[in-house]
Amino acid sequence: MRARGCRNLMLDHSIRPRRPSATHDPECRRASATIRAVAIVIATLAATCGALADEDRQFNRDVRPILSDNCFQCHGPDSAQRKAELRLDVEASAKRDRDGSRPIVPGRLDESALYARITSTDPELRMPPPTSGKKLSAAQIDVLARWIRAGAAWERHWAFIPPQRPVPPSVQRRDWPRNPIDAFILARLEAEQLAPAPEADRTTLARRVTLDLTGLPPTPAEVDAFVTDDSADAYQRLVDRLLASPRFGEQMAARWLDAARYADTSGYQTDGPRVMWRWRDWVIEAFNHNLAFDRFTIEQLAGDLLPAATLDERIASGFNRNHRGNSEGGIIPEEYAVEYVVDRVDTTATVWLGLTVACARCHDHKFDPFSQREFYQLFAFFNNVPEKGRAIKVGNSPPFIKAPTRHQQQQLQALEAQRLAAEHALAQLEGELAAGESRWSAGFSSATPLPWAPSDHLLAQFPLNENDFDGTRTVNAGDVANFGYFDRLTLSAWIRPRADTGTIMARMAEQADAEGYSLQLAGGRLQVNLVKRWLDDAVRVETAEPLAIDRLQHVAVTYDGSRAAAGVKIFVDGRPQATRILLDELNQSFSTSEPLRLGGGGPGPAFRGLLDEVRIDKTDLPTDEIALLATRDTIDAICSLAPADRTRAQSAKLRAYYLAEHAPQPIRAARKQVLELAQQQRDLEESFPTTMVMQELPVPRESFVLVRGQYDKPGERVTAGVPASLPPLPTTSPDRLALARWLVDPAHPLTARVIVNRLWQAHFGTGLVKTVDDFGAQGDPPSHAALLDWLATELVASGWNLKALQRAIVSSATYRQSSRVTPRELERDPDNRLLARGPRFRFSAEMIRDASLAASGLLVEEFGGPSVHPYQPPGLWKELTGGGDATQDHGANLYRRSLYTFWKRTIQPPSMMTFDASGREACSVRVARTNTPLQALALMNEVTFVEAARMLAQRVMQETGPAPSERITLAFRLVLARRPSEQELRILRSSFERRLAEFREDPAAAAALLHVGEAPAAAALDACELAAYATVANLILNLDEAVTKE
Amino acid sequence: MDPRAQNPWLPDRRRFLAHSASALGTAALATLLSGDARGAVSPDDADAPSGLPHFKPRAKRVIYLFQSGAPSQLDLFDYKPALRDVQGSELPDSVRKGQRLTGMTSRQASFPIAASKYRFAQHGQGGAWLSELLPHTARVADELCFVKSLHTEAINHDPAVTFFQTGAQLAGRPSIGSWLSYGLGSENRDLPAFVAMISQGSGNPTDQPLYDRLWGSGFLPSKYQGVKFRSVGDPVLNLSNPPGIDSRARRAMLNDLGALNQLKLDAFGDPEIATRIAQYELAFRMQSSVPELTSVADEPASVFEMYGPESRTPGTFAANCLLARRLCERGVRFVQLFHRGWDQHVHLPQQIEAQCRDTDQASAALVADLKQRGLLDDTLVVWGGEFGRTVYCQGKLTRDDYGRDHHPRCFTVWLAGAGIRAGTTYGQTDDHSYNITADPVHVHDLHATILACLGIDHTRLTFKFQGRHHRLTDVRGQVVNGILA
Repeated sequence: MRARGCRNLMLDHSIRPRRPSATHDPECRRASATIRAVAIVIATLAATCGALADEDRQFNRDVRPILSDNCFQCHGPDSAQRKAELRLDVEASAKRDRDGSRPIVPGRLDESALYARITSTDPELRMPPPTSGKKLSAAQIDVLARWIRAGAAWERHWAFIPPQRPVPPSVQRRDWPRNPIDAFILARLEAEQLAPAPEADRTTLARRVTLDLTGLPPTPAEVDAFVTDDSADAYQRLVDRLLASPRFGEQMAARWLDAARYADTSGYQTDGPRVMWRWRDWVIEAFNHNLAFDRFTIEQLAGDLLPAATLDERIASGFNRNHRGNSEGGIIPEEYAVEYVVDRVDTTATVWLGLTVACARCHDHKFDPFSQREFYQLFAFFNNVPEKGRAIKVGNSPPFIKAPTRHQQQQLQALEAQRLAAEHALAQLEGELAAGESRWSAGFSSATPLPWAPSDHLLAQFPLNENDFDGTRTVNAGDVANFGYFDRLTLSAWIRPRADTGTIMARMAEQADAEGYSLQLAGGRLQVNLVKRWLDDAVRVETAEPLAIDRLQHVAVTYDGSRAAAGVKIFVDGRPQATRILLDELNQSFSTSEPLRLGGGGPGPAFRGLLDEVRIDKTDLPTDEIALLATRDTIDAICSLAPADRTRAQSAKLRAYYLAEHAPQPIRAARKQVLELAQQQRDLEESFPTTMVMQELPVPRESFVLVRGQYDKPGERVTAGVPASLPPLPTTSPDRLALARWLVDPAHPLTARVIVNRLWQAHFGTGLVKTVDDFGAQGDPPSHAALLDWLATELVASGWNLKALQRAIVSSATYRQSSRVTPRELERDPDNRLLARGPRFRFSAEMIRDASLAASGLLVEEFGGPSVHPYQPPGLWKELTGGGDATQDHGANLYRRSLYTFWKRTIQPPSMMTFDASGREACSVRVARTNTPLQALALMNEVTFVEAARMLAQRVMQETGPAPSERITLAFRLVLARRPSEQELRILRSSFERRLAEFREDPAAAAALLHVGEAPAAAALDACELAAYATVANLILNLDEAVTKE
Repeated sequence: MDPRAQNPWLPDRRRFLAHSASALGTAALATLLSGDARGAVSPDDADAPSGLPHFKPRAKRVIYLFQSGAPSQLDLFDYKPALRDVQGSELPDSVRKGQRLTGMTSRQASFPIAASKYRFAQHGQGGAWLSELLPHTARVADELCFVKSLHTEAINHDPAVTFFQTGAQLAGRPSIGSWLSYGLGSENRDLPAFVAMISQGSGNPTDQPLYDRLWGSGFLPSKYQGVKFRSVGDPVLNLSNPPGIDSRARRAMLNDLGALNQLKLDAFGDPEIATRIAQYELAFRMQSSVPELTSVADEPASVFEMYGPESRTPGTFAANCLLARRLCERGVRFVQLFHRGWDQHVHLPQQIEAQCRDTDQASAALVADLKQRGLLDDTLVVWGGEFGRTVYCQGKLTRDDYGRDHHPRCFTVWLAGAGIRAGTTYGQTDDHSYNITADPVHVHDLHATILACLGIDHTRLTFKFQGRHHRLTDVRGQVVNGILA
């Protein structure tokens, strides 16, 4: 391992030619000197020759990585681990006199204690010590020796120095560069004595740039249009068209979702569904609208804190709610509350700073200048969310908001206007109503009492009027009112209790630990229990004050289906009561198979006293309707009072009764209209998707350094702040908004570099800084430092214009090179870090599926909405969870772009994972590309790809004449953009003919193949022929080129 | 010799193929893959660690029988006769010592002691105590080493299982099998180095969910992730050709595909194309090697008798044990079974009896079967869950019924086979099986020991990610020499 570490180090940061003969090449050295002479700052340039002069040893590029990887663990930023009080990450410490000797004496190798120790043969003295598991190679020792001899010049770590806009270097081949990017690349190539590759042919170029900017292959017509367009700006217009495509935002969003650990489930054991697609769609739209990256940043990190934040800005703030949430029973919520905040710090630092700040959670960072205390200062920015450590099992965890789509917002506006109009119309009738009621009540008389109560939502009613509940007797009301935790409900009754404890009604077994719901008196207080598990999965709310014993009173409780204690209201005699929340931990439905019991049920004692008019409504009745229930007077009794003598409650009940039963038809119609529209509005609002958002507590939660990172070991108290090694936060009131603005301050050393580096990775396969997630001391130095700085400053200067930057990248001559490579070139630069050729690498997982769907014509290009469930192997979820499988969609949802596929974090879509998709359990900005037999099996056999092959075959049969060559050529073009060579066509044709003959022998096999997938095969086509073309299409879709951008 | 060299599943062959790509025809490649590739793969592999194994391995492979949900050590292994006398009395504070409890029982009004209702007896020469629930395990007791002093940090399933599998409670690290395939590769070119299999316990048919991350590769390249063998449909996803395409047709298609890819390789020179050609050939070979492996039709009746009647039913623990032996025979490096259903919060007796019926006979049979085939000499077998269970009762305690909550402070795991001191018991717990009194073994220690059996110094199998050289055992872990032969 040690040896490997060194080798990587050398490979990664130097990209040196391997030929030893280059070592003393005077030409090479001259070239290097010449370029320096024109005063161009290209940090990496000095690496152009195999052997460097001593003075060419650069601290940041050559020396720090060695010190960091081998020494910093004990002689670095971590004060707790530091040995001998020596720091080698700080110049002063490394050169300070220590009892007559100095670790590093510039220019004097023989006096430098460091050199003596790293070359000592005494295992007691040798550094790094053998126990550390680290070892310096001879080459590394040589680097250090030459650097000390040359004066041991120190530099601040490059990534912490703000980028200065470099002047593009001058080059010999002046006709090659198309824009400044090329000057940086070419200067390096010329220094390396390499020549750039010729431009890729136009078809290849059209396919490359279309795939890069939209994630989809170009159609043959698009390719033809570009190839035959000989105007000077043909390519620019192609690029502009692609940047304007709605598919651009989807392609960009795919990697952003990885970074944001976006998913459709909450992760951890339960991994229940959540709803965050409104945030996902915000991201896609933001990319499509080319929202400036600084604004993109601010809205996602602190949209909720913007003045008068809009719905969209609040939705955007969900970025830092995309982390996992643990809802496993029995967890200790404080433990996970900390994990969520840590995740936010870690993700934010990785995505914007490219730093591994998370290392400082438990101790000072071992390699980079971040103390543990500074980690918790960042933690404090994200620690003020009114959230719980235990997440909701099914659905979003608070805080979340209703997030209607634009269409729903319009619907709501229209409905609200209608409702207001209807209310106005009803109000207009008030005079007529009052007069009518007055006339009617004056004339009303009844021989028998006329009880009445509103019944719009009545579910069950039990007019018991029984006084003999004695603590043993209960009434079994049967299987009614089986509510679950998403249901709205009202329970109410008249009671005259004789004891201060007893159950009024319950749907709950009469035993300890039973689940269900109950309304009971407990120590005189009226208490509601909604229970899955008594101790930690329940809502328990009771009145603050005890009720009177032996008094007839009306009690009612409502629950709004929100799963929260705050959704429970208790009323006594029609008046809302102050309540105490005893438990607010409901996380599973409390629905049971127990019958409803009156006067008892559940583990507690049964009721003693009088119970009357027990009733259950299937909604949470508003206060004014509860008041009607609590008004016991019959209609006739109220009528018999003079209007002036009626209480307000009596008048209200009379009015409600008159309105419902006797008012003139126009008034009742007007009222009905109001009620219906109100209900429609409520239904519409209930249908709105919700989305989790960031929100600040009114009083910030205190933050502490957590000793060893443990949630239950708080140490020193800290307030929000940024690390001292980065620019200061220009505000005295640090909050997330200030942090977000600080990140996108033009003077920030990291943000712009980190972002352009990831864009570079997207187009070229590898970042200019290969370690896209680590710009610290342990990361790789940039291959083209000046280019990185040029791009970063260009991004800022353009107003953080991402489309403009990508236009520059894909317009460069560098990007437009052919990706063919000779063995010699491959030997010289196997990973193409010097970019003497164009990028050639495998598609992302999403692109592989999307491109196949596109070629086949199956792809449904529809924006956004809830995530979809395309084909999934049966039993996939069930075998791991014991629960149900996903319900697979049918029709259009089978063919949506892959970024809309429902992402279950603990059981990810298998083919996506086979093609190296990020798992979305945590932030990921690295791009992985493996090449495995499981990928081959998926492309050959998975229903998605077989169906795509089948439909591609059908498409070419329908869209061309009967000649096999013509059909095969079209299929080839739909997948690869280019036409097949004669040799390729010959192979494909013979494949087709062989398969056709075989299917003619065995038509059942053809029929079987045509039944893979749900898209119907065109009955008009010859099945054997279609199947034979399908196998050829399968072959084409499996070509290396079919899954490769080249 | 570098065992990786035999395994085209693992190495990134880019470097090697870079040298030979242009000269290499499909036929040559095919020969290379079907024949002896040893030494052909450059040791200068971009991903692979070098210098492994670090020392002479005792074991070549591992079968890990993971009991998901956490079996009760008190009712299976950790015999505490004195508890009968204090049945129902409150757990003394002097034992609990204020240690944290889960949210499920921390608000319980009392913590009554629940003694195991099962009889225990000593077995074998080693005299290991086992409960009556494990009669088959009792018969192979002398092959096993019982570690009674395992302890962990997590108190809930997800973080605890993740910790056992990856050495960290939070998602993101490679699983133990991925570390081994990264470090050692497989002995079989046609099979993955790491196979996972799942079975549902009959004690508790809905618990506990598992997660792909448990056999995932974390930050290691995804080629090191475990391949889940399934009991429904294809054993490996997408293994079968679609209806209407038989093996002969697939072979013909692959010949054409290879020829076309070769043209591309000749024109473009990208060694990834050569790798892809090779991976398609490998996929084709898997299409026959995997069904051959998973079809147990060739096993004699005596084998099914040994593993129990359920071994004929695909997807059961017993069937998976038999498959584990077949994988092991074929040189798969790390086979991990996950048996769910061990989370006995309530009705423990009824549930655990069913769990033991699922697992006891087949686990014992696997050990005996490996032994009779000589495979136990170089195969390590591990049996255990993610934590233990509390001595105090969760929920209602009666004479015959009780439940137990999660207990991370001590629990039992057994090991057998290569490198293990058979017929012994290691570590001790207090009279309540609540705290460890001698020889604690942390999860990191168990990992270090498993790696040591395979000839790996756990401090030296590392992978650099986000600036840090990560390892399975994080910054801890001591090899438990006391359990090694």
